[in-house]
Amino acid sequence: MSNSTSPLLGYPRPDGRWGFRNHILILPLHQALSTAARDIADATPGAVAISHDWSGEIEKDFERISKTFAGFAGNPNIFTTVVLTIGTEVEAGIIERAKKFSPTPLVEVKLSDAGSMFKLVTSALEKAGELAEKAAAESRVPAPWSSVVLGLECGGSDAYSGITANPALGVASDRLVEFGATSILAETMEILGAEHLLAARALDPKVGAQIIEVVARYERSINYEGIDIRGAQPSRGNIEGGLSTLEEKSLGAAKKAGNAPFTGVLEYADRPTAPGLYFMDTPGHDIEQLTGFAAADVNITVFTTGRGTPTGSAVIPTIKVATNSEMGLVLTDLIDINAGTISDGTQTLEEVGQIIFDEIVRVANGHLTKAEHGKHHEFNLSRLYGSTL
Amino acid sequence: MSLPEIWAFKHEGRGIGIRHHQLILPSVVCSTVVSRRIAQEVGGITFAHQHGCAIIGVDVSGIDDFFIALASHPNVGSVLVVGLGCETTQGNELTEKITKLTKSTEYLVIQESGGVEGTVATGAAAARELAITYSHFPYPLEELVVGIELSRDVEIEPLLTELTHEGIKYVIISEAGGSAKHFSMLMSQKVQLIISFPDGNQPPSGFPLIPVINVASDSPLHQAISGEFDLQFEATAKEMVAKIISTADHTKTISEQNQSGEILVPRLVRSV
Repeated sequence: MSNSTSPLLGYPRPDGRWGFRNHILILPLHQALSTAARDIADATPGAVAISHDWSGEIEKDFERISKTFAGFAGNPNIFTTVVLTIGTEVEAGIIERAKKFSPTPLVEVKLSDAGSMFKLVTSALEKAGELAEKAAAESRVPAPWSSVVLGLECGGSDAYSGITANPALGVASDRLVEFGATSILAETMEILGAEHLLAARALDPKVGAQIIEVVARYERSINYEGIDIRGAQPSRGNIEGGLSTLEEKSLGAAKKAGNAPFTGVLEYADRPTAPGLYFMDTPGHDIEQLTGFAAADVNITVFTTGRGTPTGSAVIPTIKVATNSEMGLVLTDLIDINAGTISDGTQTLEEVGQIIFDEIVRVANGHLTKAEHGKHHEFNLSRLYGSTL
Repeated sequence: MSLPEIWAFKHEGRGIGIRHHQLILPSVVCSTVVSRRIAQEVGGITFAHQHGCAIIGVDVSGIDDFFIALASHPNVGSVLVVGLGCETTQGNELTEKITKLTKSTEYLVIQESGGVEGTVATGAAAARELAITYSHFPYPLEELVVGIELSRDVEIEPLLTELTHEGIKYVIISEAGGSAKHFSMLMSQKVQLIISFPDGNQPPSGFPLIPVINVASDSPLHQAISGEFDLQFEATAKEMVAKIISTADHTKTISEQNQSGEILVPRLVRSV
C-alpha cells in the first residue's frame, strides 16, 4: 500500500466521529417493548432493532447495563435512535446519559403517553419512516483514515486461526493504525497467557502494567467462581478445531492486533479518545464483546472464525473471515473472506492482509456484509452477576 | 348444570397443554436469528436469548435444565433444537436429555447444515414433519395448574378461595424480582397459564409459551395503558377465574396477541 490517501466515504457526526452506515436504531428500554421494536424495524427500510431481556430493574449490573445502552444508542453509524420506553425515571436517566455521551439525536416514544402498544407502534413507525427518508437522503463525503474505529474479534477459533485469518487481520490492522485509524483488540480471556507479549508493546509502561492487571483481574474474577479458567478453556468447539491449550488459543487470538504498539487500555464499553491500538476488557462471549464495541464508537468490525459463526451487530457492519478453506468454501452465506488460502499455499499472509484491508474500505463505503444481508442483529447485555472484577 | 371443562391437548411426556406450540429452541445466542426465521416460516414459537456459550460453573447445567424445562413444558407439542456447532451448550446432548423425557424433538446444527439458508430450509422442513396434529379433548378443570405472579401487594385470598372452589390448582411466586423472573420460575413448575399482578411501575408482560393474564393496578402507569391489561384493577375473584377458564379454553390474552415478552433465562455467573 503505497498510497495513503483515504478512499473512505462516510457520514460526519457533529463531534468529529464518523459513521459508515446511517441507521435508524429502534431501541427498546424494556423487554416488553422488544417485539414492538422488531416489528417497527421490519416495517421500516433503513431501520434496525435490538431486543433484550431487561425490565428496567436497578439490579447489581445496572451501571454496566446503563452504560451499554447509553453508548449503543450513540454509535456513530446511527443517524437517529428511536427509544421506546415505558415512561419511567430509570429510563429517563439512561436517555440523559446517552445525550451526554454523544450528539446522536434521540427520539423517545413513551408507552405511558401513547396509551397503548398499538399507538406506540403507530407513532414510532411514523417517526422512524420520516427519519429513514432523511437518513437515506444524506450523502457520504470523503472521510480521513482516522474515521475508522476498527473492532477486532474472533469466535469459534480453530488451530488455523493463529496462522491464517488472525495474522492476516493483523496486517490490515497495523496498516490502518499506521494511517491514523483506531483499532481495538478485546476478549480478555483470549489474551490470557499472551499478556506479557502485548504489554511489551505498550507505548507507555503504565499501559503495559494495565494490560497485565486487566488479565490478572479477569483471572481473579473467574477464580472467585471456583473455576480454573485454564481448565475450562479452550471450549469443546475449539478443541475439536485442533486447539490444545488456552495459551495456544491466546497466542493466536492476539495476532489479530498485528505488531502495532498499544496506545491504551479500555474498560468494557469505554470509548477510545485518540487514534491508535487499544485493548478493551470484554468477555470472550462474541456478542457481549460486539455490544461493548458498539457502545464504544466502533464503526466496523472484522471477525475471524474457524468453525463458522453467523452473528453480527445491528449497528456495526461485521466482516467474517474464515480461517480454513474447508469451512470457508462451504458456509459461503456467512463468510465474506476465506483466509484458508494461506494454509492452502495459494495466497500469502500479506496478500490476504491486503484483501481484508480492501474489504474494510469497501464495506465502510457501503458494501453490505453477509451478516448484514442475513439481518444478524444479535445484542447482549453483559452482566457480571455479582462476580468481582 | 354440567361441570366446566377445558379443551386441551395431551402432549406425550409433557402433560396436558392448553396450547399446542411448536418450540424452535436455539441452544445458543448464535442460532437465535436462524431459529426466528424457521419459526416465522412454520408458525412456531421461539425467543431470542444471549446464552449457551462462554458459560461456566453452575450455569452450564443451569442453562441445560432451563432449556429442558422449556422443551418439556405441557404447552409444547414438539421441539426443534437449533445449534451452531461449536458452543458450550452442545445441542446434541441437550436434545438427548430432552428426548429422554419427551418425544417429538429434533436437532439441527448450522455448521453442518450448509450455513444460514441451508439450516432455515432444512429446519422448516424438519419442523413441519415434527408438527404432528393433535386433536384436543375435553378435560376437567382439575388438570389446570395456574401460576400466580405477584410483583405487588394484592389481596389474593379471594382468588385462591375461588380457584379451590373450582378445583383449579395453583402455584404462587411472590419473592423478590420482577415479573420476567417470576414467569421463568413458574414455567419450570409447569404451570399452563399465568395470572400476573405486575408492579405499578411495570408494564404488562408475556411469556412466549404460556398465556399470561395481566391484571392492572390503580397506579398512574397502569391507568394510562389500561387497555393493555386483560383485567382492570376492580376485577373480582370470580371475574379472574372466569378469565382463567376462557383463556385455558383458547381465548388469547393481550400479550399473546401482541406476542410480547422476552424470556429471562436465569444466570448466576458472568460469561468468560
